[in-house]
Amino acid sequence: MKLLKYTIYRLAQAVPVLIGISIITFLLANLGPGDPVSLMLQGQEHSEELVRAIERRYGLDRPLHERYVTYMVGLLQGDLGQSIYYERPVAGLILDRAGPTLLLVVSAYAFALATAIPLGVVAADRRNEPTDHVSRIAALVGVSTPSFWIGIVLILVFAVKLGWLPSSGLYYPWRPPSAYRGIDGHLELYYQSARHLLLPMIALGTLQMATIMRVERTQMIESLQGEYVKLARAYGVPERTVLRKHAFQVAQLPIITIVGLNLSTAIGGAVLVETVFNINGMGQLFVGAIQRNDYQLVMGVTMMLGVLFVVGVIITDISYAYVDPRVTYGERE
Amino acid sequence: MSSEPLLRVENLKTQFFTEAGTVRAVDGISFEVREGEIVGLVGESGAGKSVASMSIMGLVEAPGEIVGGEITYKGETIFGLEEGPDGELRKRDDALSDEEIRTRIRGNEIAVIFQDPMESLNPVFTVGGQLREFIELNRGLEGEEARAAAIDMLREVGIPDPEERYEEYPHQFSGGMRQRVLIAMALACEPSLIIADEPTTALDVTVEGQILELVDDLQSKYGTSFVWVTHDLGVVAEICDRVNVMYLGEIVEQAPVDELFYETKHPYTDALLDSIPRPDRTVTELEAIEGVMPEAIEPPSGCRFHPRCPDAREVCKRVHPEPTVIADADGEPHRAACVKHDAFDVDYEGSPPLAGATRETGDGMAEGTASELAPNPADDGGEDRE
Repeated sequence: MKLLKYTIYRLAQAVPVLIGISIITFLLANLGPGDPVSLMLQGQEHSEELVRAIERRYGLDRPLHERYVTYMVGLLQGDLGQSIYYERPVAGLILDRAGPTLLLVVSAYAFALATAIPLGVVAADRRNEPTDHVSRIAALVGVSTPSFWIGIVLILVFAVKLGWLPSSGLYYPWRPPSAYRGIDGHLELYYQSARHLLLPMIALGTLQMATIMRVERTQMIESLQGEYVKLARAYGVPERTVLRKHAFQVAQLPIITIVGLNLSTAIGGAVLVETVFNINGMGQLFVGAIQRNDYQLVMGVTMMLGVLFVVGVIITDISYAYVDPRVTYGERE
Repeated sequence: MSSEPLLRVENLKTQFFTEAGTVRAVDGISFEVREGEIVGLVGESGAGKSVASMSIMGLVEAPGEIVGGEITYKGETIFGLEEGPDGELRKRDDALSDEEIRTRIRGNEIAVIFQDPMESLNPVFTVGGQLREFIELNRGLEGEEARAAAIDMLREVGIPDPEERYEEYPHQFSGGMRQRVLIAMALACEPSLIIADEPTTALDVTVEGQILELVDDLQSKYGTSFVWVTHDLGVVAEICDRVNVMYLGEIVEQAPVDELFYETKHPYTDALLDSIPRPDRTVTELEAIEGVMPEAIEPPSGCRFHPRCPDAREVCKRVHPEPTVIADADGEPHRAACVKHDAFDVDYEGSPPLAGATRETGDGMAEGTASELAPNPADDGGEDRE
């Protein structure tokens, strides 16, 4: 019950943040260089009248604050406006493209967590031994290598040279198998999805893995030096249990924060990885929208990323409150 | 005492191998603990008290290592070294393995109460859960039985509403209550010996009083022996039966508690006693011990206390005294490691006092007693300075 109250409280706190995001993106999209109308008419003969008509149609002739209010009213009703380039509602475009991006980001995180946490624990347990040094170098490389480069190398090695895995595209496991040619049944669809997902997932997840691993190692080392670990050892708790339970549990708290706060980095990385692997996700949509000055779409995607980020932070806070008993829900006891 | 003591520590040496050099944290100490006894291990910070107690548990962490000595518990060797055929030191065959120490000694035979109740409990598990885990491990109880034993023990150490508090987390407990939990952990495992490593240092004085009283009650009820590590001679006077005074990794004086306080034989113990605030005396300044304890990396030559000792003579720089029986207190030996006693035949009387030593008259001991009786010891120093 307390947790529910806290959740509502945190969500309410997010409202001013989201309003702030909307104002800033609105100003940036509308005051930036380039004029959508002339871009739309590029290469075409056009009269002054046509320009006026288009401006009227998209409401571009009205003052900025009026347009903002109109936009926000629409936003509250789930209407993100009309894309100038696609001539379709922005909300629908985003929904279509959100699936692959989310699939990519979630699997990249799953990959990062599943590898980084055990590796970090082992590195901490064998501190300053060869295992630790190897993991340190691997993490350094992982942090300093851009995801698109990793993607290209993975394609070169596993798709081009070895021919084990496909180099581009994605099969969406939530679609019916009949949507794809040559796919019989769900099992084969899942198999193809996994094969296609593997390389982009590694490309996007490596940075997260390296970051999480280093933090996990540091946290575990600190936790292993804690008095409570000494106490557990003094009472004959087996070393395995000390490592996996007593030290581990305390060390996980900052990991939650990293995952939550790095969400925006991961989505940013997804834009690049989608380009490299030719995945039709939010990243490509966003990049295209910026290039075409499709300001409604730019705003829509930015708003959605802002919402995702804020939600990520809130989920972080809430899971923190859930995992760490010391966190009080914003009120003094 | 003819019967085998509960714990015997002989010539224990624990060193830390650091980049700055080898720290001889514990440098050849010997003492014993008998059934039902509270033995004090006293000294300033850095004297090696905590390292000594951790060595007994086999819990010295890298870069620390026990490099010599023997620890016997209930007649069994829990630590012992011998020289292998290649000249390397190795664990003796009759000594318990690490695994045996973990399963048979830690918790169920020797339990420990740590210094810092705020940090010693795991913040993410309930107090009851932690207590129960130790009970399950060390007493072979399971499930509801272990839970009931945990709640009983919480009640026993004076925690109100133990059923409710069992489910609470450490941060919901005050410092004194957490220390009670740690005591409950120690007692719940039904050990024969509890090592209490400065258990009241982090607590305020009223809570300290309550905890000492609790330990005293429980000790007489369960008959558990204690090694009580502290820097506070007041606490020692209150609860200990026998006392070991440590300085820079060595035991410098060893005596039953009354004997130690009334027939002090070592200038360091004297100095420690002088530095205690006394409500029955008016002083303008506390008699702090001059200087700070040197590093255990390069301990001073001869007697390690000589640079700070008011009785230091030239001979103290050369001769390193081992704790030696100086007097007899109702059948108990009173050992001290100070060459001013006749048991050390090194011509202390004939040796010139060191510059900086404050007492320059013939008999250091008599002088020490005199200053003890002086109405206002701080005045003496004041006159000297003028």
